[in-house]
Amino acid sequence: MHIMEGFLPPLWAAIWWIVALPFVIYGFVRLKQTIDENKDALPLLGICGALIFILSALKLPSVTGSCSHPTGTGLSAIVFGPFITAIIGFIVLLFQALFLAHGGLSTLGANTFSMAICGPFLGYYVYRALKDTKINIYITVFIAVALADLFTYVITALELALAVPAGEVGFIGLFITFLGVFAVTQIPLAILEGAVLALVFKYIVDIKPDIITKMKIFSEEQIHAARGKIQ
Amino acid sequence: MKYQFEIIVGLIVILFIGTFLYTSSINPDAEFGGSDGVGSAVVSELTGIPEDDVKPLIPQWAPPSGEIESGLFALQAAFGGVILGLGFGYLIGQRTTQ
Repeated sequence: MHIMEGFLPPLWAAIWWIVALPFVIYGFVRLKQTIDENKDALPLLGICGALIFILSALKLPSVTGSCSHPTGTGLSAIVFGPFITAIIGFIVLLFQALFLAHGGLSTLGANTFSMAICGPFLGYYVYRALKDTKINIYITVFIAVALADLFTYVITALELALAVPAGEVGFIGLFITFLGVFAVTQIPLAILEGAVLALVFKYIVDIKPDIITKMKIFSEEQIHAARGKIQ
Repeated sequence: MKYQFEIIVGLIVILFIGTFLYTSSINPDAEFGGSDGVGSAVVSELTGIPEDDVKPLIPQWAPPSGEIESGLFALQAAFGGVILGLGFGYLIGQRTTQ
């Protein structure tokens, strides 16, 4: 999902920076608040943040014959909300831009917007929509995480389609072309990420269910119901 | 059934590996390069500017070799792994002392 350095015209690079920056700054404020107020949440914050570091470093092959990487942002978005996820994602992308030449400083705004903002926001709202339904909590996590991952790449495709002169294919044609490059490659990875993070979430619930209920992520009844069905 | 969830996730992983083996066998020319690079190539094709001529807006350090790059990626994942272990270790430790 990284847009490489130099591949966005200065105007778009600036626009995405301006759009992304408020989310990152507010995320930093929220992160500080959480650390100050809720010390119990720290190990959980570590786990969610660490998953973003690990999964975004794993480049996996896909059906299109190219490689891509999961984003790992979904679980953090569910547990800590999209703003805190924005600052963690930003830090990961900054590291990759500075030391790995994956993405660049001028395109960091655009990459942050897709991976650290849009993906987590979609995942968060999917979780919110499914939260109070009868759907098993692990299935909810699976769906929210997988869609957060996939949506990141849809936004990357959109960012590139907006930045490239449309020519004869037009904007829609461009968007579909880039979706073919990014989103189709991502589908198997999104499913895999959803399954793995749902399992990680199950381990958290097994070890410390009270922190999940205390943070109002899921209710006691929901956890109880899910435990009855899935061991 | 015990480990039901683990088995489901395991099956999804096997399915993922299976699709990879299948695509690489029916398409031996597939390079499995990064989709970032494929995306950049499409941009170059559309704008008519060769990829090598795209100038960075902000100067950028690039790892001098694939080895160094993979080393840095491993470092990123290892850092995440340490924190992940710490987080889970803390939760498990908390549970046993209670």
